[in-house]
Amino acid sequence: MSATAPAPVSSRLVRRLPLLALALVALLAGLWAGLLRLGLDLPPLRPALALYHGPLLVLGFLGTQIGLERAVALRRGWAYIAPAAAGAGALWLIVGLPAAGGQALLVVAGLDLVAVFVVVHRIQPSWHNTVMGLGAVAWLVGALLWLTGSDIPDVMPWLAAFLVLTIVGERLELSRMRRPPRHALRLLLAAVVVFSVGIATSAAWPAVGVRLAGAGLLAQAVWLARYDVAGRTIRKTGVTRYMAVALIAGYVWLAVAGVVWLVNGSLAGGGFSYDAMVHAIFLGFVFSMVFAHAPVIVPAVLGVRLPYRPVFYVPLALLHIGLVVRLIGDATGSLTAWRWGGVLDEVAIVAFLAVAAISAVRARSSTAARTAPARGRSAAPPVEEMRLPR
Amino acid sequence: MPIELGELADEPTPDLIRELLHDVIDPELDINIVDLGLLREVSVRDGYASVRFTVTTPACPLSSYIEDEIRACLWQLPGIHDLDVECEYEPAWCPEDMSDAARDALGWAA
Repeated sequence: MSATAPAPVSSRLVRRLPLLALALVALLAGLWAGLLRLGLDLPPLRPALALYHGPLLVLGFLGTQIGLERAVALRRGWAYIAPAAAGAGALWLIVGLPAAGGQALLVVAGLDLVAVFVVVHRIQPSWHNTVMGLGAVAWLVGALLWLTGSDIPDVMPWLAAFLVLTIVGERLELSRMRRPPRHALRLLLAAVVVFSVGIATSAAWPAVGVRLAGAGLLAQAVWLARYDVAGRTIRKTGVTRYMAVALIAGYVWLAVAGVVWLVNGSLAGGGFSYDAMVHAIFLGFVFSMVFAHAPVIVPAVLGVRLPYRPVFYVPLALLHIGLVVRLIGDATGSLTAWRWGGVLDEVAIVAFLAVAAISAVRARSSTAARTAPARGRSAAPPVEEMRLPR
Repeated sequence: MPIELGELADEPTPDLIRELLHDVIDPELDINIVDLGLLREVSVRDGYASVRFTVTTPACPLSSYIEDEIRACLWQLPGIHDLDVECEYEPAWCPEDMSDAARDALGWAA
């Protein structure tokens, strides 16, 4: 006789599906808003939609997703307030209700995420959790600034800090597996401090603050290139190498962003320089991380298998090629290159969603079709297996 | 160590379950949870198996993924009627919990 079947993942999927749906709506609306900002002749759907492009993608989509990841990790009901409020806030803005309501929901979401990290810190105090917690604080400050009337270009650095510090904290945590030298932690914390001081002063003194933040970005990118586990795991094969490639590509863009912020030293919105500052981080660094971790995070959050397939490299390559074209457009003032690069990046994101969905559906079908697994072992298709010699 | 069918005829031992859990892999590292030092305790008594594991930080959402993979790995194991899988955070995981094989794979000797 065997043990009871694994906990039905479908119930987890059903419980979390509304949050995923909200994140997906925010993503699609944010992408549509992006096409409007690229000047494509498309119906605006809502008058203010194009203005919400950044907040919808950063807080509506990524904020809901990251909040959900933390809630799944912490396993406490109140932790789900963050993704729920972020998703609801995004929907509020999309449907065109008075903006303050949606902005307030995004503040509530940021506050809950800060509370999540307070609890995480109490469970296990550590520098990596502190850095991730600083990312949550950046979300809260950015959302508060937006609610109280700051313009998007002044809010943008805080949104960038939310994602950069969240990801850098995660990578710092994993880098422990490589046993970096003792001074490595001090170096990264110094980079985080420089970056954070730069972000905090970017709106008041952009010539100094933006450059400080740029130096911090560059230093964090160099640190990640030197100490992240991707430097080892890229020698593996399959999903492990795919993840490492996407991570390292992201670190290259983080370094590019650092240089652009250093050179630009301004938050003047609307121009090519600002476009490069924003998209090198959010598309090049952040979305590359999203593409990298989807094969792990989707199963963790939704209980749905997302087996790696080599075709995952196609949208990843499109993402980075599109961004190169876009930044060439930014550097040369070519509207055509800027627009084509932007569209290519949106195609890459939609293509990634499509290949991920197909991969998940195929995995589900093959699991259902499988009967009487050999040797009474796993009924589920194995992830790529490796047994280390002992 | 290959596992023979005969070993699965009776209630499995904790050692056998540990051996089977080498199939639960962290995809980002391509290293299994046993070598990573994430597997804390395995016990078997009267057909009831209990598996305790940890993750590298309480903020890590991979606990759900690992729990699912452990269940998928063990749920049809003969001699086990019930399976309890739990994630625990105390004591905190540290790099020294990894096996020599995992340390080598991650370049500690380099």
